[in-house]
Amino acid sequence: MENKDLGRYTASFGVSLGITCVVSALLVILKELGEHSVLVWMKEATGHHWATHGLFDLVVFVVLGLLLARANGGSGIAISEKGLVNIIVGGVVLGGLIIAGFYLIVG
Amino acid sequence: MSKGLSTLLSLEWTEAFEEANMLSFTEMLLMVHVGFGMLCIVASVWVFVEALNVNENNVTRIRKISLAVAVFMWLAYLFGGYWYVFYYGMDKAIILKGPWPFSHSFFMEMKEHVVLMLLLLATYLPIAAANKLATSRAARKIVLWVSGLIALVGMAMDGSGAIISMGVKVALLPK
Repeated sequence: MENKDLGRYTASFGVSLGITCVVSALLVILKELGEHSVLVWMKEATGHHWATHGLFDLVVFVVLGLLLARANGGSGIAISEKGLVNIIVGGVVLGGLIIAGFYLIVG
Repeated sequence: MSKGLSTLLSLEWTEAFEEANMLSFTEMLLMVHVGFGMLCIVASVWVFVEALNVNENNVTRIRKISLAVAVFMWLAYLFGGYWYVFYYGMDKAIILKGPWPFSHSFFMEMKEHVVLMLLLLATYLPIAAANKLATSRAARKIVLWVSGLIALVGMAMDGSGAIISMGVKVALLPK
């Protein structure tokens, strides 16, 4: 059930945060495995793959957050407090595990 | 001492002095990076504790400290990022030739990417803190989770940084 106590930006940017964390972790795998394609492009874009990665994360976070804030006719995404906590914590934990797991096993 | 030799020694001394100055600049960068990172952790713990005891009197303070968390994290990111992009290459080469190569291949690789999530968390905290914290249990819960995550992930990053530094140190120790 939607929680009216949460502002629309809290809900939309919270969901965006959880999603961006997982997308960012998947980009780590993509660039590390695509050493001659994705990684090269990311290096060329800003001069360093990590700077491009950071910029990409920020753009996804902001754009997705603003788009979700405009959902439901401008009232923002409808989500419960529990759902939002699950998405934020789940996104951060899953993103962290993907990154740590990748470098532990493959890296 | 011949004039030629004294000129040569003077040149070498100048180069060594410049090198030492460059090192102190990079070390300063690192210290500033770590300092802002620590301030971010301390401020996030402050937000967490204040949010546990939230009332009308401390809501404004929570919002200000939440903003400080974001500012500290951004400064730590920018200083650390500058050092990482322009100066880490030398440390990386030393680490990889030393007995602790995992301090780069796991800890640095993991840290440089997880820290981006920490940056997003810290940027989000002031947005979450802008809600009616004193009256809304839901809003308070979000702030508690986010500030708690910032403190935990921040400490993990700090620990990783210590292991990376040790990686350089053990590589430079005489065998």
